[in-house]
Amino acid sequence: MSRTIIDPKILKGTRDFLPTDMAKRDYVMDVMRSVFRKYGYDTIETPVINYAETILGKYGEEGDRLTYNFKDSGDRGIALPYDLTVPFARLVAANYSNLPMPFKRYQIQRVWRAEKPQKGRLREFYQCDIDVIGTKSLLAEAEVARIIVSVFEELGFENFRIKVNSRRLMNAILDSFGLDDDPLALIRIIDKMAKIGEDGVKNELSSIGVSQNKITELFDAFSKGDFSAYDMSEIEEFMGLCKDLCIDDKYIEFDPCLARGLDYYTGIIYEVVSDDVDFGTLCAGGRYDDLCGLFCKEDFSGVGVAFGFERIMLALEKMNRLADVPLSSKVLVTLFDSVSTAASLAIYNELVCAGINSEIYFEPAKLSEQFKYAAKKQVPFVVVSGPDERAKSEVTVKFMDSGNQKTIPVNQLISYIKGYV
Amino acid sequence: MFKIGIQKGGRLTTPSIEYLASLGIEVPRNGRELMILAGDFKILFLRQKDIPEFVERGIIDFGIVGTNAILEKQSKVDIIKELGFCKCSLVIAGPSNISITALNGERIATSFPNLLRSFLQKNKINASIIEVQGSVEVIPAMGLADAVCDLVQTGSTLKDNNLVPIATVLESQAVLISNPNSTKKWRF
Repeated sequence: MSRTIIDPKILKGTRDFLPTDMAKRDYVMDVMRSVFRKYGYDTIETPVINYAETILGKYGEEGDRLTYNFKDSGDRGIALPYDLTVPFARLVAANYSNLPMPFKRYQIQRVWRAEKPQKGRLREFYQCDIDVIGTKSLLAEAEVARIIVSVFEELGFENFRIKVNSRRLMNAILDSFGLDDDPLALIRIIDKMAKIGEDGVKNELSSIGVSQNKITELFDAFSKGDFSAYDMSEIEEFMGLCKDLCIDDKYIEFDPCLARGLDYYTGIIYEVVSDDVDFGTLCAGGRYDDLCGLFCKEDFSGVGVAFGFERIMLALEKMNRLADVPLSSKVLVTLFDSVSTAASLAIYNELVCAGINSEIYFEPAKLSEQFKYAAKKQVPFVVVSGPDERAKSEVTVKFMDSGNQKTIPVNQLISYIKGYV
Repeated sequence: MFKIGIQKGGRLTTPSIEYLASLGIEVPRNGRELMILAGDFKILFLRQKDIPEFVERGIIDFGIVGTNAILEKQSKVDIIKELGFCKCSLVIAGPSNISITALNGERIATSFPNLLRSFLQKNKINASIIEVQGSVEVIPAMGLADAVCDLVQTGSTLKDNNLVPIATVLESQAVLISNPNSTKKWRF
């Protein structure tokens, strides 16, 4: 009888990650997690399958179109998360009486978007968010900036900047020019400055009916960079707190043109760019005033940023920062012959108990075959315990990169391997 | 009152006391006391390994230590003055005069793992660092290491243990160190 072979394909816009890919992704996530934890952030997890009404209707028409939703076998409308903010807001609304307030959390989870797959557009990818809710203190904004700097420093970025602006300042400027009919439309256009340039922004402003005079006035204020006529207290206090948190000046830049397209930011906004690589925004976010309004009667002000995990991965690969991320095994203990099994297992056990990531070869195959396996798994040390070694209570350690080997007493193996760390 | 840390008992102790005397700070030491008042100064007798950290944290204002101790601990302290005494070298030594590349895969015993590690990395040598607290020169004879990395003044201890210098990791001498905040308050 012939079997039907199923093509082992995956959906476009999704990816398989092999161990060498995962080692790098785990390394980057671990760096991020360790920084978040250092600043007292705990993590949460929210479901993959949600009632459709939880997710739909929160991201505009475009967002709804890109949300994966379907009927389950019980005819319920189900949707997959489009981002982590909405599931977080729902979780807070459902649990706030039990949560410590202010509440800070980090969350690293997959999200799904029904994009047309193309370069840089995936249907399934990771987002990595941190938020502090339940406080209006600017200290929360400064702490988030401190965390951003620590994450990028620890990942090995050198030339990066957090561009910051105050939504309140921006509104005040627009008000003073009488451009307050639809400030959100204006903000969305100004936000495109980096993308479409000064002329592009001028054209779009005039197309929504802003007069030439007003446009010239507005650009004059931006080009002079003089905002002393406006209330700069929010930005100044924020900068002062960043200094007190020992954030180097070079990492923070006040950018009065920074607008962030999203409509719900109400205070300080951030965006991280790097001069080492040109991948656009690597991290962004800001202060919002109404996180859970759709899910409960309480108002929660908060501040949060999303790290563009997939972009950060691409940037680090391009900067060649991930070439040395090792796979798990540091030592392969070979099986010389079936008589050697007990001795090899004893060595293997001792290595693992000493905290050295190790593995044993499962069959007494030819040593050359076992070495080949070690090379393929990028294991740096291979331990051989054959009859000659055992007779003298020794082991031979082979270095896979140089091919050299060294015979030492078996009771020195642990300190010998640890001496290389 | 400024606090000065010096080595409790070792090759730095006597020359440190003499140096302080040359500055007009007489240390009337007569026994095993660990703290002595000397005019406007409090002299603390400490383990050399602790002095750089205490100075860095501002627990004591000044210290007299070997350069090796500061660099091994990667302490952030100001070196105010090289004092010219207790000169020595941190060297790698082995049973015969081999090139440093022959150290690949070998075991090197030392009490200075950080300095040795950065020297090996700089010279692209992949060797196992066996950390011991002292009596380093005898470790190869015990079969625990193939080479050593230790401080050498005259070289006689190496010779006594049939070891030959292979490479110099660092030249060291006694230095006066201070906490960056104390440096601002005091002119030398």
